[in-house]
Amino acid sequence: MSAIPDPIRAGVARGWKVQGGPHGAPPEAITCDVAIVGSGAGAGITAELLNAAGLSVVIVEEGPLRSSSDFKQLESEAYPTLYQESASRRTADKAIAILQGRWVGGSTTVNWTSSFRTPSSTLQYWREHFDLAGMSDGAMAPWFQQAEQRLSIGPWLALPNENNQLLRAGAARLGIPAAAIMRNVRGCHNLGSCGMGCPTNAKQSMLVTTLPAALDRGARLLVQTRVQRLRIAGRRAQGLECVPVALNGAQVAGTGTSITARHVVVAGGAINSPALLLRSQAPDPHGLLGTRTFLHPVVLSAATFNQRVEGWAGAPQTLYTDHFLEVDPIDGPIGYKLEAPPVHPIIFSLTVTGFGAEQAAALMQFPHTHALLALLRDGFHPLSVGGKVGLRGDGSAELDYPLNDFVMEGARRALLSMAEIQFAADAKTVTPSHELASPYSSWAQARAGIAALPMKPLLTRVFSAHVMGGCGMAGRPEQGVVRPDGTHWQLQGLSVHDGSLFPTSVGANPQLSIYGLAARLAAGLAKSLTGQDVRLA
Amino acid sequence: MQRRTLLQLGVVGATLVSLAGAGLALTRSGLRDGSLTAAGREVFAAVARAVLDGALPTATAAAAVQDHLLRVDATIASFPPAMQAELGQLITLLASSPGRLLLTGLQPDWPDASTPQVQAMLQGLRVSTLPLRLQTFHALRDITNAAYFADADTWSVMGYPGPRAV
Repeated sequence: MSAIPDPIRAGVARGWKVQGGPHGAPPEAITCDVAIVGSGAGAGITAELLNAAGLSVVIVEEGPLRSSSDFKQLESEAYPTLYQESASRRTADKAIAILQGRWVGGSTTVNWTSSFRTPSSTLQYWREHFDLAGMSDGAMAPWFQQAEQRLSIGPWLALPNENNQLLRAGAARLGIPAAAIMRNVRGCHNLGSCGMGCPTNAKQSMLVTTLPAALDRGARLLVQTRVQRLRIAGRRAQGLECVPVALNGAQVAGTGTSITARHVVVAGGAINSPALLLRSQAPDPHGLLGTRTFLHPVVLSAATFNQRVEGWAGAPQTLYTDHFLEVDPIDGPIGYKLEAPPVHPIIFSLTVTGFGAEQAAALMQFPHTHALLALLRDGFHPLSVGGKVGLRGDGSAELDYPLNDFVMEGARRALLSMAEIQFAADAKTVTPSHELASPYSSWAQARAGIAALPMKPLLTRVFSAHVMGGCGMAGRPEQGVVRPDGTHWQLQGLSVHDGSLFPTSVGANPQLSIYGLAARLAAGLAKSLTGQDVRLA
Repeated sequence: MQRRTLLQLGVVGATLVSLAGAGLALTRSGLRDGSLTAAGREVFAAVARAVLDGALPTATAAAAVQDHLLRVDATIASFPPAMQAELGQLITLLASSPGRLLLTGLQPDWPDASTPQVQAMLQGLRVSTLPLRLQTFHALRDITNAAYFADADTWSVMGYPGPRAV
């Protein structure tokens, strides 16, 4: 038994209203003020604020409830349970592997703690192109401040691990500045296991902050319960139809639950939120639902060094550089953000290329391997329209995101930039995440080699951990699925409060963008439903 | 496998689809109720020997592959139904002789194929211009690696000490 207290098990023991899965079947019918779909960044913030306004809240989560006692820092336990589609979610053509959380707390419980306010240039683009006049730095600042205070978002004062330090060292030699990333942690043990659930409750995810606050005040949480569809009557959402599901998402025997609510907030994350609206046949007169789904497509560069790097150890992603986001205008050739991610055996074995002796040689270099990733800022250029969410035959969601030449040329530049930085930091070899690349032993060799790579999907290994858009907000109905206040353009009693709101990608790790926007929208919703002003505790 | 993706293969793809529709799935299914059949295990055993060549323990490779196959089963069982159905079609195609030949070009049956033969086949898939072949490479390799390196006993080969105690 761990000596670390487990606030979730303690909460359940003292009577939190948690049902579904092993917690007992929920009733066939529930009536509440607000039903919230999902329990991640947007849902958690919304639950706390609406609950604080005295509204009765029901939160419906498809994944299970797990907490610090369950978190053993093991990929083999985390990935099958805690991620969408067992951490094997891919785009329709299988060319992009997507990591997205699926349990209580959503992706906030398994993310790497990187916290950025929405960049000013992104907000400006939204104001200019989507009629979102209220999305200014000044108007958003108080909401970001609230979220930062609530979730202990601040500077990380410990020394960066070697994986991050090498990013700074290499960039500095090229005259490229690298800055510190703010993290949402309290008393972090510097383990580096954020992606498998924080075993010390240091990460201030929704699991240990807003959700316990709402549950302590009587909110109800249904887990291992999927929302099949919204109940819509005329032009109004009236509630949710839910079914019990197994850990792998398969529907299981059992009576469904029908929830009647004054208002429904959809916050199941991009991909799942637009899919729910599609399954519910929500009106979509302008054909926008599910479109403009963005991923920050990621390519990776692995370098070997003489010294040990141990990319698994210590806080991940504590340094970054936005230099390559600022080279061109935001609507020019696609820019990218560079960060140093954590690596563990399974993730590492999936990101190296090849098989057999080639793969074994790369795996044996694991302790000496430095990993960089580039997040491509998609959605700002006419040739970067993102993907489209559709439904499979069984009603489950699928994202079709064609990787076109515009995006893939950005990926090539990103591979070049990362290799140059790694060689500047004295790498022995650099290998891009491309099936036709072999380890390069000098910058000159890498520059020529990468320039000649065919930048094709599947040959290039592409990943994503940031899914955004699909229920975009806009100031006019022909441009977005929801209004600037998060309410649906066509249906009353329905709001969207998650990453699917973003009209483009964010251009930064999105969690704080979701927290701040959800806080603003939820406070507005609380005001409209109760007349009360509320703020995060 | 998505029908739309299969159709990208044109005539070959259409043949595969019709073969599958003609009852291959009934005669030699690769995946049944979320678990590998004997035929499916033969596919993943041969792939494991090829993909993990150099990473498997030399003295106990056969036993390691048997343990690994249990983890492949557990990995597939954790997939949602739509993914299991798609993967089941792929494994069923691979487990049948016509499917194996058309999709991968591998001449001998899986248990009879040498590791160099399977590796040559995988390399062909890896650099193919056909999306279905590239997708097949990704699926086989990634499931193999994810299942194999899930076990702490495999970490020593990559020098990973395991998580730090809390």
